[in-house]
Amino acid sequence: MKQAFKLALSAGFLVTGAVSAAEQKTVEDYAHVPMPAGVQVVMSELEGPVFADAQGKTLYSWPQRAMRVGFSGDPKGKSTCTDVVTTKTAGMMSPWPAGMDLPDVDKRLSCAATWPPLLAPEGAKPIGAWTVIVRPDGKKQWAYDQLPVYTSILDKAPGVANGGSGTLESGGSGTQPARLPVNPPLNAPPGFKVTTTVAGRMLVNDKDYAIYIWDKDPANKSVCTGECARTWHPVLAPAAAQPQGEWTIVQRAPGERQWAFRKKPVYTYAQDLRRESIAGDDMPGWHNVFTQKGPAHPAEFTTQMALTGDVLADAGGKTIYYYTCGDDSLDQMACDTMDSPQVYRIAIAGGADWDRALKMWPYVPAPANAKAPSQVWSIVYVDPKTGREAVSHQQGAQRVWAYRGRPVYTYAGDKEPGDIEGNGMGEWQGKRNGFRAFYTKEVFGRRGG
Amino acid sequence: MTSLSKILASATALCALSGTAYAGEGESIIKDRRIGYVTTDLHWTMYQTADGKAECPKGLSPNGPREIFKTLFPDMGPVEKTQLAREALKMYPGDMGGNKFDYIEVTGNIALGLNLDGKVGPKDFTSPMGEKGIDNAFYRVTGCNSQFRGPEGQLQLFANKQIPDFGYNRILLEVTEVDDLANDPDVTVTIARGRDPLLLDATGEKVAPGGTQRVDATYGAKVIQKFKGKIVDGVLTTEAKDGKWPWQIFGGVPRSLAVRDMRFSMKLTPHSADGLIAGYFDNESLYRWLTSWSTHHLSYGQLEAGEFYWEILKNADGHPGKDGKMTAISSAITLNMAQVYIEHPEKAVASDAPAAPAKAETVQTARH
Repeated sequence: MKQAFKLALSAGFLVTGAVSAAEQKTVEDYAHVPMPAGVQVVMSELEGPVFADAQGKTLYSWPQRAMRVGFSGDPKGKSTCTDVVTTKTAGMMSPWPAGMDLPDVDKRLSCAATWPPLLAPEGAKPIGAWTVIVRPDGKKQWAYDQLPVYTSILDKAPGVANGGSGTLESGGSGTQPARLPVNPPLNAPPGFKVTTTVAGRMLVNDKDYAIYIWDKDPANKSVCTGECARTWHPVLAPAAAQPQGEWTIVQRAPGERQWAFRKKPVYTYAQDLRRESIAGDDMPGWHNVFTQKGPAHPAEFTTQMALTGDVLADAGGKTIYYYTCGDDSLDQMACDTMDSPQVYRIAIAGGADWDRALKMWPYVPAPANAKAPSQVWSIVYVDPKTGREAVSHQQGAQRVWAYRGRPVYTYAGDKEPGDIEGNGMGEWQGKRNGFRAFYTKEVFGRRGG
Repeated sequence: MTSLSKILASATALCALSGTAYAGEGESIIKDRRIGYVTTDLHWTMYQTADGKAECPKGLSPNGPREIFKTLFPDMGPVEKTQLAREALKMYPGDMGGNKFDYIEVTGNIALGLNLDGKVGPKDFTSPMGEKGIDNAFYRVTGCNSQFRGPEGQLQLFANKQIPDFGYNRILLEVTEVDDLANDPDVTVTIARGRDPLLLDATGEKVAPGGTQRVDATYGAKVIQKFKGKIVDGVLTTEAKDGKWPWQIFGGVPRSLAVRDMRFSMKLTPHSADGLIAGYFDNESLYRWLTSWSTHHLSYGQLEAGEFYWEILKNADGHPGKDGKMTAISSAITLNMAQVYIEHPEKAVASDAPAAPAKAETVQTARH
């Protein structure tokens, strides 16, 4: 096990994806588990430590989930992502039926071409949580925790996780099952987990309730007692617990031991009465805990207060939106990239009218002197007439900001800073095919509670 | 004195000492000339007869997304010409140019609501109690649609279910400068959002009076609105002014209804406030509110978004725009509230924990 570590860009391949400037940055500690030859752990700015193939490409799994109609994704021990190119809708997402023709089928790739399976060599043996499954074509594929793993053709560099992300909201059975980066286990005592947020990799307990630290606590000591401890519940360590990695134990009273992370005692908040609540972060001196902070946003961006939390905004205060889309094919392919069919986005953004789409949902221009602040945020050239990536000298090409390789937008219907009138526009509240406001802090939680 | 009597007497004495007792209807519950309530239930007003024939003699609207899709695309086709074409019209319903399929409106003459303009017009309804001049043109649109009819209509049921479930919907009504809960000629009504869970009774289902709510003066600052009002025979009525009412009907999709000439008519008791929010609901905001409901959910009640949009425009009856077309539609929402003690940021409850200046909220309470 490793202690929390400070790493510099020059420290080597391990952190290539994690550090975007020549500055030291605290990253998430993980348990060093057995891995097949060629598999490694790389650091992702957004997703923390992730398993990667020999080239450093992030590995993903596609856990099966019940849809409105049927199931999609991989069950344990089996890959459903094949070389067959799907051409029809599957009717998994109510109310629309199966059997419609998918767009751009002549250019459409198969699932396996989009998500290359991590093949295992002949004679590969299970190691740790890694097992070998047999694909439908007879080839062997590595699986982690029995779920087959893949790389993404969207990832061009180590540490990038443009294929899928835990930050995207699930719309339950009404949206496609996500492809998620596969993380090694967190190096933490039982009872703690990490969830990926825009703000960073946030510590929660095993029931998904937020963990907090308090400014007034000195190192390895809690001064939150009495009424304070009735509001802020110390997370207690069992009698037999031992320090682990970045986790130490604080003696609150004889026989009463409390976990501390990076020397700060940790608590839950009594008024977080539902999972995903982060209400305690509003209280003076109290903070959510991140194993690593999220990637920096473009320098000219601002944060604005909406009715439901803080949203990222452009320099003029207009809320930034991301577009997300998954099609209704059997292989549930993404349709939110510059390479994928644009008819989905234009239907929502412009009612199938390209000019209106550009007027109502303009790209966010990147100033001439702007530089990408992180790997997650980039500057891309886009041909607004096609939605496709362009080269810089192409006539009419726009230089715009992109998040995870996808352009972001503002909405013409927003009139004042903090407006989020465009949030949820699209199919299934914008989670299946539509626009979502870019929250940096969502006060009422993803479920609105 | 029996044992039970002794217990009751002791409890009464204890309550009197606590200073928050229900000593009598409308008495000690008012503290510092103020009383607060929190939203527990919210429904679009819906006058329904048992078989629906009085208000909807032609039955209920038959054409939802699934039915229309089947009619238009019996042989399917490209996804952009079928599914996406329908979703595009949901985003831009103006492109339809008008209703394309049969939509059944209410033809009865009885509706719930208020007389918003003080007149009795030819399109006005009569209340079940016989009051004429009720302005509720939106009921004409919703009354024969199963989404809106209670108790089982998807929207009627779930939009209300989200009231206790979503903190976004935790709207407070505070009456201040009040001396008498039965009659007071001049009170102030403040609308704000609370930040705390609702106090539930022993069943865990029903909201109980007596909870505490902290005002959300940060993220909820834009919700805070004030109205002048009066109380007559226990009924609070307010002035009419433009306002907004937050109502989120699906997780993660916050919406606010923009209401022209918004007003309240609420029966107040020490334990509850029940009545109506009425006014002219901005057409566009009403439509955006509805379309935070997915096409899948709209399908359950045969409610096609685009058709609904044109029905709103057709029946809109207030606030003409520059082109003379009405921009808002009269209606009313049934509002039920439970009494709560409202804590304002400047009246923080002291705690030995947070001592630093507020980051966002300045109060905390040990009451759960």
